[in-house]
Amino acid sequence: MECNDIVVAMAGSGGDGVVSAGEILASAGASEGIHAFMLKSFGPQIRGGESSCRVRLCEQQIQSHGDRVQVLGVFNWKDFARFKGEMAFAEPLVIVQDSADKTPEDEIPIDDGIEKIIYSVPIGDLAKEKAGTSQAKNIVMLGVLSALFELPSNGIQNAIKKRFRKKSQEVIDSNLRAFQAAVEYVRDEMEKIDDVRFSYQPSEAKVLMEGNEALAYGALYAGCRFFAGYPITPASELLEWMGRELPRYDGTMLQAEDELAAISMIIGASFAGEKAMTSTSGPGLSLMSEQIGLASIAELPLVIVDVQRTGPSTGIPTKTEQSDLQQALYGTHGDANRVVIAPADVEDCFDVGVEAFYIAEKYQVPVIVLSDQYLGQHKETFEQTSLFGNGNGFMKTMNRVTPSDEELKDYKRFRITETGVSPMTYPGIEGGTYQAAGIEHGEDGLPTSDVDVHARMTEKRFRKNKYIAEELNFVRFYGPEDAEIGVIGWGSTKGAIKEAVLQLNAEGHAVSAAIPQIILPFPQAKMEQYLEPLKKVIVAELSYTGQFYKYLKGFLRFGDRDLIPYARSGGSPFDVEEIYNAVKQELE
Amino acid sequence: MVPEEAVREPKRKAYKIKDYKSATRPIWCPGCGDFGVLSALYSAMSTLNLPPEDVALISGIGCSSRLPGYVATYGFNSVHGRILPIATGVKMANPEITVVGTGGDGDGFSIGMGHVPHAVRRNVDMTYIVMDNEIYGLTKGQLSPTAHVGDVTKTSIYGSVERPVEPVKFMLSIGASFVAQVNAGNPKHMADVIVEGIQHKGFAFINAMSPCRTWRGIEQKKFINQHAHYLEDGEHDPSDLAAALALAGQEDPISMGVFYKEERPTYDQLYAEVRQKAQSKKVPEIQEIMQRYIP
Repeated sequence: MECNDIVVAMAGSGGDGVVSAGEILASAGASEGIHAFMLKSFGPQIRGGESSCRVRLCEQQIQSHGDRVQVLGVFNWKDFARFKGEMAFAEPLVIVQDSADKTPEDEIPIDDGIEKIIYSVPIGDLAKEKAGTSQAKNIVMLGVLSALFELPSNGIQNAIKKRFRKKSQEVIDSNLRAFQAAVEYVRDEMEKIDDVRFSYQPSEAKVLMEGNEALAYGALYAGCRFFAGYPITPASELLEWMGRELPRYDGTMLQAEDELAAISMIIGASFAGEKAMTSTSGPGLSLMSEQIGLASIAELPLVIVDVQRTGPSTGIPTKTEQSDLQQALYGTHGDANRVVIAPADVEDCFDVGVEAFYIAEKYQVPVIVLSDQYLGQHKETFEQTSLFGNGNGFMKTMNRVTPSDEELKDYKRFRITETGVSPMTYPGIEGGTYQAAGIEHGEDGLPTSDVDVHARMTEKRFRKNKYIAEELNFVRFYGPEDAEIGVIGWGSTKGAIKEAVLQLNAEGHAVSAAIPQIILPFPQAKMEQYLEPLKKVIVAELSYTGQFYKYLKGFLRFGDRDLIPYARSGGSPFDVEEIYNAVKQELE
Repeated sequence: MVPEEAVREPKRKAYKIKDYKSATRPIWCPGCGDFGVLSALYSAMSTLNLPPEDVALISGIGCSSRLPGYVATYGFNSVHGRILPIATGVKMANPEITVVGTGGDGDGFSIGMGHVPHAVRRNVDMTYIVMDNEIYGLTKGQLSPTAHVGDVTKTSIYGSVERPVEPVKFMLSIGASFVAQVNAGNPKHMADVIVEGIQHKGFAFINAMSPCRTWRGIEQKKFINQHAHYLEDGEHDPSDLAAALALAGQEDPISMGVFYKEERPTYDQLYAEVRQKAQSKKVPEIQEIMQRYIP
């Protein structure tokens, strides 16, 4: 069976190089113009332990990780066992296992009911023999997979050269030898008994990035030059990326002593006139809550990225969930304005990085970007023209608007204006001194306990939302406009929802979907219009308590429409099939 | 005396004390030590001829944290305990700005204590004035981290059993590059020390013993005045850490002046070196970074 869409998974112990093999495979695909989507998964160990990866390769643009693994490479069944709950399998499942693992076929930790085709290959022995080290096991595995299933072999060899380019020529050569030996072994010693063959037409190389990288990149492009953060899984890649890049562009990255300090530092930097950002995950966002209120009342531009993980408390730091939504929308005491925006895929992470700064600087509000572990840490391809070429993405940047000389004559930092946005100075600007404050203040910034002033200033701070919503209200819509059944989701679940809806459409079912990119202020008009033809609405989210469902109920009048929450706790991302089935059930 | 070259050329004029006063009148109680600190700060800024727009005063929460509102420079009356990281952000974003943190003992040594050693080890180039009254004044009389064993307050009605934080000793022991103590009752001496603190390149800590008339009575002020000893020139070598620690450990008299002073690179200077290292190889245009992700 020829296919142009294949899902390959590998599992082994930390030393087996499973994740680097996956990265080489994804890079190989991208370099030959194939779309790739790569997930990785680790055991709780800091080093070593079990690891697995899943790479989906497809000739067409893909939206998700691919529900069912078609090809599975296993170094060690004991290590695999840990991940079996995370994988569903196609049938027949084709397995390539290291023959050094003597687990009998009937004891393999995969359901007996699943039809399997098993190739047993001396992976470790070939590595030792041909590369002189068992470290090349992963390359041998790639060679076997590549030869058996016609994966992009040139791309793999180039990716191997690139990956080891900083090592000696000998390392590169021995790995290439290992790859060749595996290919020859398949040719000379093995008989192909399955019919999986990947076929594709090479095209222009794709960009291959993780969400965390794309988001940091977007922020840098938008002019972010100050970043403070505290290490936390799964957001640390942002901190590390900024630590490497910002000083190259005259910027500053500070590793703070805790999240209280991280957000305080960027509040200080923003007050001093810099575009400033922090990133964290749920526990850090909890600690930052008080200062979100401070930035809100002091009307300071700020970008806070929350790469959500499974909660509450420590939860499962390495797994995804969408359960920080309410914390992002409401977290902190008092009526504190902020903007909440959620990227939907890796390319969108770049756009949202740019957009978050645009909103923060133009409207002088804290902007919370809600990413998640799935989005932040998976690799995905997109076209080279996507970021800067075709003008589809969000490319508007905004510098802080300082008062004119005229405005400085009678300068009031918090002057009540039509849009709620007041001219803003920062230290160094003559004639513009003012006191920023967490304490309620009048237009001049001076403290007050006058309840009327409090009412006016609160109204002023929230007035901005009307203008933000008018300008920025991007919602992704899929499927026919007159469909009577629709799915509403947000953030990284876009991929699974979109793919499910497109599949249902292809099967002749009228189903639509809406994924708002900006969640607060809510894109009311667009969403009301979307709702109109619908008779049934499924709200899909990775939150046990249905945080998004409850939020939507506050904005949308659903009338007599059936409102169906599809809310489950996270850990694993949505599979396409899951959404497909949820919709299918309502169609019947 | 301030060396002449330290005084900035005025941008437009020589700044007088009135140029630093805001239109707001302090809400402090009559007899509060914080008045003395405020007047010493006005005077120090005027001595250094700092343009008000080039100064940022960062405060937290408490009686003393109201101070920036009374000064016509840039100010930030933030939340409880976060003076130091906010000040760090301001200074690192714009090292040209003179950054002064002003807060109380509760703000600095209770809720904000976690940040103190970090600002100190980074040697952030700023001045941190803690107005220490050994009581929570704004919340009306609860136990402070600098209160003494046996002190009776609203939350220690049977007498405190906790050993106090000793600010000067503590800051010396964690390696602050400038440590001084002043008496709010002597604004003239205090102004000189603040001038020296602002001039110091690095983290300058000034413990201002600032009595609280309302919750500590007149006795606290009397005690400080009676026991204060102003260090004379040559009496103490501020480069001698062991001597500074010994001085800080002395219960009577209470020394006022500069305990310790050491020149070492500041955080912004060191970070400038980080930038230099990062830029030692050709830096691509931001749009070119994408090429790295095309395999």
